Amino acid sequence: MANHSAALDDAFHALSDPTRRAVVGRLGAGPASVGELAAPFDMALPSFMKHIRQLESSGWIRTRKAGRVRTCTLERRSFAAVESWLDEQRRVWEARTDRLEQFVTTDHEEDPA
Amino acid sequence: MSTTDLDLTVSRIIKAPRATIWRAWTDPRRFEQWWIPAPTVCRVRQMDLRPGGAFVTEMSDDGVAFGPQITGCFLAVDDQQRIVFTDALVAGWRPAESAFMTAVVTMRDHPDGTEYSATAMHGSRAERDHHEQLGFHDGWGTVTRQLAELVEARG
Repeated sequence: MANHSAALDDAFHALSDPTRRAVVGRLGAGPASVGELAAPFDMALPSFMKHIRQLESSGWIRTRKAGRVRTCTLERRSFAAVESWLDEQRRVWEARTDRLEQFVTTDHEEDPA
Repeated sequence: MSTTDLDLTVSRIIKAPRATIWRAWTDPRRFEQWWIPAPTVCRVRQMDLRPGGAFVTEMSDDGVAFGPQITGCFLAVDDQQRIVFTDALVAGWRPAESAFMTAVVTMRDHPDGTEYSATAMHGSRAERDHHEQLGFHDGWGTVTRQLAELVEARG
């Protein structure tokens, strides 16, 4: 759970920047090259690449280089990960309640403590 | 601000008397037997059943090396009715370094036994740390929706 939480921290931190959010928004329309993505920003390419790498390492996008062009694609599984986090917690509590139920309905629990 | 998107409730009619369930919850040796799924071993380090009392559990995969599970405190302990605990505060209501959740457990008599309910309300370190920068105000659920809208509007 701690690891999952750290991964979510990374994922949200990656979106704590307007440039990176704009990139995610643009990629919702389909894959794009780094050049295309960088065009709207008044930013040196190395600085822009740092944003791309951060989005990639936190799982929001994938990149693939073909020749001199690096193409970025949105990783939709990251959205699912955020949504399924609460489902995971629910499973934890459902299972925990199952075990409590089983524990208190077994015979040994009826003995006076 | 609504963070109900981060809440979950599990309710169950358990065919056992309320006193039995209360004992399973409040006796550390019993609690250890069901709180964490086997083969992981649970150990209760502190279970001081009063408001502000320490609630510290550990877990271990091999029964030898234990790591932290819950480090928090109780907020309310109403005999055979309700237990509220959080990891946002530790013993004596001292603020914790990180906050994950507050849980409210209730037990009520039911013709078939006991109506047991557990509600977990979750915080988000990510949200807390980056709340301002993100500009999102309603928790992960809303963040997710806004992202989905951001992405789908273009798609």
